[in-house]
Amino acid sequence: MSAIALGYGTNGFANHRLADAVAVLADLGYDGVALTLDHAHLDPFAADLTSQVNRVSRLLSRAGLRVVVETGARYLLDARHKHQPTLLSDDPTARVDLLRRALRIAHDLGAECVSFWSGSTPSTVDDATAWRRLRDGVAGLLDEAGRWDVPLALEPEPGMLVQHLAQALRLRDELGAPDLLGITLDVGHCVAVEPVDAAECVRLAGAVLRNVQLDDMRPGVHEHLEFGQGQLDLPATLAALAEVGYTGLAAVELPRHSHAAPVVAERAIHALRHAMPAAPAAAENPVRPTNNPAPATATAPPDRDAGPRPVRPPSPDEVDHPWLVAAEQRVRAEPEAIRVLFPAVGREVGRAALRPDSDPHGLVHGTVDDLARVRLLTVLATALPDDAAATEVTELYRYGDDAERRGVLRGLSALPERPALVEAGLTLVLDALRSNDIRLVAAAMGEFCAGHLDQHSWRHGVLKCLFVGVPLAAVARLDRRGDAELRRMVDDYAAERRAAGRDVPADALRLLGST
Amino acid sequence: MRIFDPHIHMTSRTTDDYQAMFDVGVRALVEPAFWLGQPRTNVGSFTDYFDALIGWERFRAAQFGIRHHCTIALNPKEANDPRCVDVLDVLPRYLAKDGVVAVGEVGYDSMTDAEDTAFARQLELALAHELPVLVHTPHRDKLAGTRRTLAVVRESGIAPERVVVDHLNEVTVGEVADSGCWMGFSIYPDTKMDEHRMVALLREYGTDRVLVNSAADWGRSDPLKTHRTGLAMLAAGFSESDVDKVLWDNPVAFYGQSGRLVLDPLPGFTASTDTFAGNSVLRGGRPDHAVTPGEER
Repeated sequence: MSAIALGYGTNGFANHRLADAVAVLADLGYDGVALTLDHAHLDPFAADLTSQVNRVSRLLSRAGLRVVVETGARYLLDARHKHQPTLLSDDPTARVDLLRRALRIAHDLGAECVSFWSGSTPSTVDDATAWRRLRDGVAGLLDEAGRWDVPLALEPEPGMLVQHLAQALRLRDELGAPDLLGITLDVGHCVAVEPVDAAECVRLAGAVLRNVQLDDMRPGVHEHLEFGQGQLDLPATLAALAEVGYTGLAAVELPRHSHAAPVVAERAIHALRHAMPAAPAAAENPVRPTNNPAPATATAPPDRDAGPRPVRPPSPDEVDHPWLVAAEQRVRAEPEAIRVLFPAVGREVGRAALRPDSDPHGLVHGTVDDLARVRLLTVLATALPDDAAATEVTELYRYGDDAERRGVLRGLSALPERPALVEAGLTLVLDALRSNDIRLVAAAMGEFCAGHLDQHSWRHGVLKCLFVGVPLAAVARLDRRGDAELRRMVDDYAAERRAAGRDVPADALRLLGST
Repeated sequence: MRIFDPHIHMTSRTTDDYQAMFDVGVRALVEPAFWLGQPRTNVGSFTDYFDALIGWERFRAAQFGIRHHCTIALNPKEANDPRCVDVLDVLPRYLAKDGVVAVGEVGYDSMTDAEDTAFARQLELALAHELPVLVHTPHRDKLAGTRRTLAVVRESGIAPERVVVDHLNEVTVGEVADSGCWMGFSIYPDTKMDEHRMVALLREYGTDRVLVNSAADWGRSDPLKTHRTGLAMLAAGFSESDVDKVLWDNPVAFYGQSGRLVLDPLPGFTASTDTFAGNSVLRGGRPDHAVTPGEER
């Protein structure tokens, strides 16, 4: 019975430089990493790929870490559609290109395999066609795998064409059971979707097991959880790995836990050591040299800037508020959960204005709860098809209180610009502009409104802001969309104020001076 | 004097009322969902009303420096109208909202079977949403209605300290005091209680578990009755801390059980409620309101 080599998936360290993640993991006593090729961590499309690969290779060997290559990055190929294209797409070229690059990179890194999944069946494709596309795609890749002598490992992924171990094994059989095609088994997925438990899945895969991902899950819910939070029998699973003589890496797979990666990774290795069958613990694995992560970090050149990061208001520590992170996970796994999470946001993360000094009511920049709700909506839009997302967003507004409605309005610009969502958003903006609640009016006049509302309604929205006291700073792209007709309307408004002996709001005067 | 009015129907009141309430020290209130005077004929009429309670009315109150909360329920009177009963199915969506601090007003009007059913079902909702309950006691046959109310509460399994039984008087207070539920009193110009009888009951029953409200609505009522009760207490020899307990600490303790009270001062408003000769004097003035919700309709 051999000790199992423990790794950690770098997709669970998305907020760390790769060099820093490697240092943390080596320091905690992990034996390897499951390296997801992605924008920030070894971008397979980088212009200087060769030198990056060399650098990562040195980094790993200095830290004494083993490596497998993972290819499940979410937006590496298509900035708008998660995981697209796949081997099942009408045009799988980009996916095939990625997997071929992955094989070469794996070879150069000395990685033990390249893990991949099938992809989801496109709505326009029948199952037989999808299966044929997958089989042909994998057959083509096997040639490339042979060229680099790197095994491929197919991972059953809930919701995808191949979501059960049995399907992956069947595909392998249909391809003639090639040595270079093995299986990646995520033991959490076994809890979520397999008819037998994870230990039994390990035995079924047996000798063709090339790669293992470790995490907990609950039956029926595809949500990667820390050990102990779901129903995985971890000791029995590790014992089964030892029993089948598995010698590959078993890497913790917690891609939604990057916000707290170092502590999560520490908890994970403690749980794993505790559950490990007899024999020497992985921590004493002799292959790893004395740990000295500091030089590795200090000498490694800083990672290339991963490109523009999402622009965020200067917020709060609350941005990675644990409740919010958990809520995002829940919405991803179970989109309708947003109905109970959305109303609770203010109670959980707070309601303070983001810039209380200049904007005490949050009319211009919004509030902490606005920001959190925008994030939940962003997740919702990735978790549901457009029509369903549009319906859900409309209902959240329909049944929302003032704060929830504000959150929906501020979130519209974060949703994908697709017809169903734009149409729903416009209806909500028009509803909000009929209200007299200044917080709704202010939230309605943001980026989405600037981009989509017709000019007549938009002008009335601006005028309404002047009437009810919303600072025009809350109106997105005022300079760009302001026109002569708006100026006429504001001019008439100013004349009416003066005729009544009232002050003209400074914002109105400024607008008249500048349009 | 710092005042939390635990039962007032602001939907039926004017902005002058909000201003006058702020001026005498009202800084927070709870608006229970109830009957509109004119019967409703469909569920949509309820949801529009609930939307106003969790949105528009909260906004209106905020313009006057007052924290607005509400309770949500199908009221006893309309529980008898089959066109309205389906609103029970939408209640969970509203009971999850911020600022919804109890299930209410529930209870009896004419003590019918339909009222029994709606009452029991809403007590279950309160348990499921971990919310306290505001129970209305009937105008007619009040003592019998109060007894039946207490029996239903007991059977429901909800803890008595999470229930306020409202609109009590000299005849009904005793049984509620014994039950462990909170005792609510509505101080009215003509009907229900007046402030002097209220003071007498406070002498007899003490200040624990007592909520004093104006229950002001569209009928003849006075949104300043809480303040007047405070003055009557002081005149009768109660201390300022007794008044603060009854008019602030008690409602905070009761509705605070929801975990959803928000009581910090609104931006731009002072928390100070110092009074001079019975009238509040705002120190250093208050910034002009940038907003007049009624300016555009």
